[in-house]
Amino acid sequence: MATLREVTRSARSLPLSQLSRQAYATCSRRCASSQAAEAELDDLVSESGLAVPQLGDAEKGAFRPWKRAADRKLGLPSSRYQYHPPKYNRGQFHPIQSPLSSDPIARDFVPGPFNLPRLRQTYQSTIASDLMTLAYNHIPPGTPQKEQAERLREWDGSSPYHKNRSKRGPRGAPVLPVIERNITFRNIPEITEITLSSYVPKAIKDQDHLLVARTMLLALTGTTPELAKTNANVAQWGVQKGQRAITKTTIYGNAAYEFLDRCIHLVFPKIKDWKGINATTGDGSGNLAWGFTPEQMQLFPEIEVNYPMYPAKMMPGCKIFIKTTATSDRQAQLLLSSMGVPFYGRK
Amino acid sequence: MNTTSTMGRLPSAVLRRPTTLLLSQTTTPSASHQATTSKQQVRHATFVLRHRRPYQFTQLVQLSDGSTYTMRTTSPAALYKSSKDTRNHSLWQPSDKSLRNVEVDEAGKLAAFRERFGRGWDLDSVATPEEQTAAAAAASATVTAAPTAVDAKQAQSPASTGKKAAPAPPPVAEAEDSEDPFDSLTDLISSYASTDKSLMGGMSAKDQAKAKGKKK
Repeated sequence: MATLREVTRSARSLPLSQLSRQAYATCSRRCASSQAAEAELDDLVSESGLAVPQLGDAEKGAFRPWKRAADRKLGLPSSRYQYHPPKYNRGQFHPIQSPLSSDPIARDFVPGPFNLPRLRQTYQSTIASDLMTLAYNHIPPGTPQKEQAERLREWDGSSPYHKNRSKRGPRGAPVLPVIERNITFRNIPEITEITLSSYVPKAIKDQDHLLVARTMLLALTGTTPELAKTNANVAQWGVQKGQRAITKTTIYGNAAYEFLDRCIHLVFPKIKDWKGINATTGDGSGNLAWGFTPEQMQLFPEIEVNYPMYPAKMMPGCKIFIKTTATSDRQAQLLLSSMGVPFYGRK
Repeated sequence: MNTTSTMGRLPSAVLRRPTTLLLSQTTTPSASHQATTSKQQVRHATFVLRHRRPYQFTQLVQLSDGSTYTMRTTSPAALYKSSKDTRNHSLWQPSDKSLRNVEVDEAGKLAAFRERFGRGWDLDSVATPEEQTAAAAAASATVTAAPTAVDAKQAQSPASTGKKAAPAPPPVAEAEDSEDPFDSLTDLISSYASTDKSLMGGMSAKDQAKAKGKKK
């Protein structure tokens, strides 16, 4: 073919029989294109191309992608459309709606649960059924229900203005006490939430006390504690009503169970000469409370692990409020003692 | 900041609401005037808060009897070994005899003291019968202690079992001597957990100083 290409255009138009002789004649002539074809063969590399050339130190040093990324002022454009949930909820009739909080992209999404706490597992497997069985109160079928006595006082009707007037509360107490409900299969007491509260009167003089208290509560619960105001004047401590000297936080569900588990199994046994919790605790409606002194707060594993972080003289005490679905203190104590909280004394 | 404020811009009516969130936005004088005059709260938008969640680690807890479980804590330590917990506390383990606070009187000095001065001054004088027998047994081991009726019984019982092939039913003191096999097992396990020196990174500085002083 190379010989055919060398022939001039006019010669190529001739039939091949006439051409063949002439072609041999012109073979000795030099052409630039034939030289190029020979040069192609010279370009072929003799050794394999798989051998990778090694980079020198200077080249390696020059390759700094992180430097380039740091120097870049604007972020790279995203490769595709990204959805961002709205920052504000503007009502249920607004065209833009927030995703559900269970959606991982939602702003108020909280991941978890990451484990099933040991105490909650014990409660579900053993304690709940045990409590139900122990507190079983057999009522033969057909027993007429007792009429609950009227607890609010009626007006005697001596004045015409008593008509449609709401009933009065009990004497001596502004609120009605909770009536104890029997423990049944649908009413087994359980722990709903735990509130930790730390009252730091010294924080009025020195705000750092409040910071230490907040840090300790944060370490204990893993939540961000909130500040609260004092609700009474205490002249001896120089506390006035409404000053910020309280920090508190509330934990629910798994976190509450884990915290109680830690109290029972790791903290209570380490307290020296500890009898248990006073059995007079309780607010009458199934919520129990106790307190930890600053020395006892140090026994928590979270505090213990970096104890030098907290200034020794600033460490606060803490009150623990256990809120249960029990409707009386004795039911709540039954629940907690079955979980392993020892009580001493009699109500 | 500028871009976010333009994106998250609210209807102008929202600006009447005095919130800290919206203070950064520029308000016209007329809007601020409205804010002072209107008492009623206008809520067209509620800020969706991102929860502040300090990081929590999953920690392995080893109780003093060797049992382990995991818990979520803010503590960054991967493993927490407890030396004192409900597993080796007499309040939670009332049946474990090894946890009882029984006085050790091998030399019989306490018994000798009590023989001389009595126990009228002692607050803990009302002891449980088990403690009394234990104290009496310890006292019988020494020569100085005065032999009591219980001691005499215990002293006779091993001798009688040694002499006679068919002994009488074993006395109470001997039954107490033969310990519960599980009891010793828990001792063994708990000793592993508590005496581990590598728990807190070897000896403390104080202990090291002591050890150095001893060598010299």
